[in-house]
Amino acid sequence: MELVGLFITSFIVNNIIFMQFLGTCPFLGVSKKIDTAAGMGIAVIFVITLASIITYIIHYAILVTLELEYLQTIVFILIIAALVQFVEMFLKKSAPGLYKALGIFLPLITTNCAVLGVAINNIIYEYTFVESLVYSVGISSGFLLAIVLFAGVRDKVDYADLPESLKGSAISLITAGLMSVAFLGFSGLQL
Amino acid sequence: MKNSFVRLAGVLLLIGAVSAGVLAWLNDTTKDLIAQNEAMASMDPAVLEAVMPGSVLFKEEDADFVETMKAENKQFVNLLTAVDASGNVLGKVVRTLSTIKGFNGDIEIYVGFSPDGKITGTSVLSHSETEGLGSRVTTPGFRAQFVGKDASGEISESDFDAISGATYSSKSFLSAINNAIAVYAEYVK
Amino acid sequence: MNKLKIFKNGVTTENPILVQQVGMCATLAITTSLMNGIGMGVAVIAVLTGSNIVISALRKFIPDEVRIPAFIIVIAAFTTIIDLLMHAYTFELYKALGVFIPLIVVNCIILARAEAFASKNSVMDSIIDGLGMGVGYLVAMILLSSAREILGNGTILGLRILPEAYEPMMMAIQPPGAFILLGLLIGIVNYLSRRKKA
Repeated sequence: MELVGLFITSFIVNNIIFMQFLGTCPFLGVSKKIDTAAGMGIAVIFVITLASIITYIIHYAILVTLELEYLQTIVFILIIAALVQFVEMFLKKSAPGLYKALGIFLPLITTNCAVLGVAINNIIYEYTFVESLVYSVGISSGFLLAIVLFAGVRDKVDYADLPESLKGSAISLITAGLMSVAFLGFSGLQL
Repeated sequence: MKNSFVRLAGVLLLIGAVSAGVLAWLNDTTKDLIAQNEAMASMDPAVLEAVMPGSVLFKEEDADFVETMKAENKQFVNLLTAVDASGNVLGKVVRTLSTIKGFNGDIEIYVGFSPDGKITGTSVLSHSETEGLGSRVTTPGFRAQFVGKDASGEISESDFDAISGATYSSKSFLSAINNAIAVYAEYVK
Repeated sequence: MNKLKIFKNGVTTENPILVQQVGMCATLAITTSLMNGIGMGVAVIAVLTGSNIVISALRKFIPDEVRIPAFIIVIAAFTTIIDLLMHAYTFELYKALGVFIPLIVVNCIILARAEAFASKNSVMDSIIDGLGMGVGYLVAMILLSSAREILGNGTILGLRILPEAYEPMMMAIQPPGAFILLGLLIGIVNYLSRRKKA
């Protein structure tokens, strides 16, 4: 039951984009069309979950045992970079269909702060392994939700008659702000 | 081909090793300060205020010194230095167990001492006295009567008002204060 | 290249946030007060300049094939240095910025400058580029965080500047305010630069 609460909280209440601002760059960059947005979202779920599992194990099995916690940032970012490379190679060979769909998003994910952010948060919040798994899936699904919703709205905004200066990222940010107001409605939700 | 791989790996390894070395050194130099910051953040402001008004942290003393004191005084737990936000020393704090058992075991308290040897305040860390009766030793009203008392000698039972109906608890609390005074007189003054 | 031009390029022409729009996460997240904005800006200047120096000094030593992982290690090392120093010396700020300090490592602007500038230019020019881009980042942080603090709290650096009667616009320091105000700020910058061109 607690795990369900954790999932809902990380999925909607503390939405990664609208409440925590992690991963805003790909959110703004890859949200022009719904299907590419969905592709990016799925790639992010995949990488965040995998990265969380690996960084969690390495943190507790190696860094904590050797008292090297201060190397956390370096080790985590290298793991994520290597992992993304590896996933890319793996998909290319064994699942060309999936690679075609997700491939172009993968290199962008290394510098997606959501991946490192979630990995670090798992440690900061002192989650157990299962909790960190639920949190990672919940928060990355929140990313998928946010980017798909946003792409849908943006489709319409592009046809709107706007002052020249607001076109592009300015209006995107304001739109995201209004969507964030909607998500603010979930805050305080007790689960 | 093999040569270039070795060279690439070597360069990365070298950069990694130098970075790790620098970080290890910096981690070592900042470790104590960080631990102190975290300790400061974890202290309950209410406890700090009750024991030593104006303090933000109880700093650890030299560990060896504390160990020798522990060897001589079984109930003594720790000696700390209370500091304010700008790092000025406000006085010493003794953490000790009671020497006379309460109704249900030892009471553990903090006692603060100003530099001129007066008690600045107390706070109960743990006790297992009867709820609503003996537990009243934790109330500010009961503890207030010790504030300002001179730490030059033991406080006798006639010098304070015990909680009626909770004589054991009161005596146990007093014994803890007196043990703190004894420690203070022997090691600090 | 002219040193002044390199510096100005970072602050205005290619301002990382207002023009290039990279490294937005921290910008949106921690600009709830001016103090946080300045703290984050200074931390980024330090990491950016530090990594630019090391990377340009090592640019002939690092083989092209492994340059990206090498840059990442250097940037992560500087990020950790700042993390440790802030944890030790500016504890309150450290707690306020939280996870966004280690996340400086994935701030795209830093890797972008390493790749686009420091790995191709002299140490001196790279220092100026790092400072310029860093100051540009700081300026944007100051603009956004002071707007949010004034509107959302009626204060600046904790000092009350709007009368007590002012009803704080809570939304400005809540997440929506970050998006909307940054959007408006970018709109204003667009407007000014368009007018300048015209």
